[in-house]
Amino acid sequence: MNAQELVTIIPWTFIAQILNLFLQMYLVKRFLFKPINEVLEKRRARAEAQLTDAADAKRSAEEMKATYEKNLAEANANAKDIIQTAQKQATLQSEAIVKEARAQAASIKQHAEAEINLEKEKAFQEMKNEIGGIAMEIAGKVIEREISEKDHQKLIDEVIENVGDLS
Amino acid sequence: MNFDVSGPKVYFTIPTDIPILGDFQLSETMVVSWIVMALITGLCIWLTRDLKVEHISKRQAVAEMLVETANNFVRGNMGKKFDYMIPFVAALFSTSIISNLISLIGLRSPTADLSTEAAWAVVVFTMITAQKIKSSGFGGYLKGFTTPIPIMTPFNILSELATPVSMACRHFGNILSGIVINGLIYAALALASAALFQFLPGVLSQIPFLTVGVPAVLSVYFDWFTGFMQAFIFCMLTTMYIANAAEE
Repeated sequence: MNAQELVTIIPWTFIAQILNLFLQMYLVKRFLFKPINEVLEKRRARAEAQLTDAADAKRSAEEMKATYEKNLAEANANAKDIIQTAQKQATLQSEAIVKEARAQAASIKQHAEAEINLEKEKAFQEMKNEIGGIAMEIAGKVIEREISEKDHQKLIDEVIENVGDLS
Repeated sequence: MNFDVSGPKVYFTIPTDIPILGDFQLSETMVVSWIVMALITGLCIWLTRDLKVEHISKRQAVAEMLVETANNFVRGNMGKKFDYMIPFVAALFSTSIISNLISLIGLRSPTADLSTEAAWAVVVFTMITAQKIKSSGFGGYLKGFTTPIPIMTPFNILSELATPVSMACRHFGNILSGIVINGLIYAALALASAALFQFLPGVLSQIPFLTVGVPAVLSVYFDWFTGFMQAFIFCMLTTMYIANAAEE
């Protein structure tokens, strides 16, 4: 088997190597760069989509937070209003109750005083009548019999005793 | 003992007798080139099997790293507008480095044949020229030879032609020198071990013990390092020249 010169350019080999180089370029492009670049592009797109999603989620969360804060502030204001109204109402009610109670107490006192006076008058009237009766009795007794000094004394004692019983 | 370095073997010749092209010769260079191409393509197909967007395999990570490295290399040297050059530079680099390193498994490197590097250099030279004409027009391209003064024209033409010649010869020379030096080392070590172990009885004295291991250490530089460096330099120069041509 013969060999070619050590340093020489063989035209056929030269042409074949040019073609080989371009063929190799196509093969590398087709079997390495195309699939890998597709995967890289897909990954990049996915990462971008995830970033966009995250930004969207953040925005919506912020919106929700703002809504919540607004609602909370409103609720706080409402609660304050309700408490104030309730306090006002309670004050009014308590005042009304106290007033009514006072009025009632006053009327009860008046009634009681009036009753006491009536009783007093009644008792006084009864006492008067009784005293009158006793006097009449005494007068009758005096008229019916002679009165000894002893009797006299006895009568007086009786009267006094009766009066004492009455009081 | 004779030491001899021969060119690539010619398996058979088809007498075509076309003027200039001469007879078709199926040489070792061409056959090994095809093996190299098959290796690279097979590697590409194997690396890109079963691609996923998430939870990628180690194989896919390697493939992505290779693509990213090629992208970064070309974009770093030439800018973003030369993205279409990425597969070409990647093919050039991979073919060059696998061709250089295939000598490690006993085949003859296709890059140890000047035809290969000449072909590559001519392709690159054509691209450089095309880029120059594209950026400054055909008139502008011709006018570029007369700068800075018309008397410089012959030197400019010479330096223009020196570009592909130097690229081809640099790569070829380095790989060929590796082969020559490796051959010399093997021959020398065989001689040395024959001299050292001649006292051993019988066939034992014929075994070249020194050629086991020692050439492997030297091949780290002459095959691995040179093979890698020359592929890298060739691609670096390709990108630089084309990017410079586009800027003018």
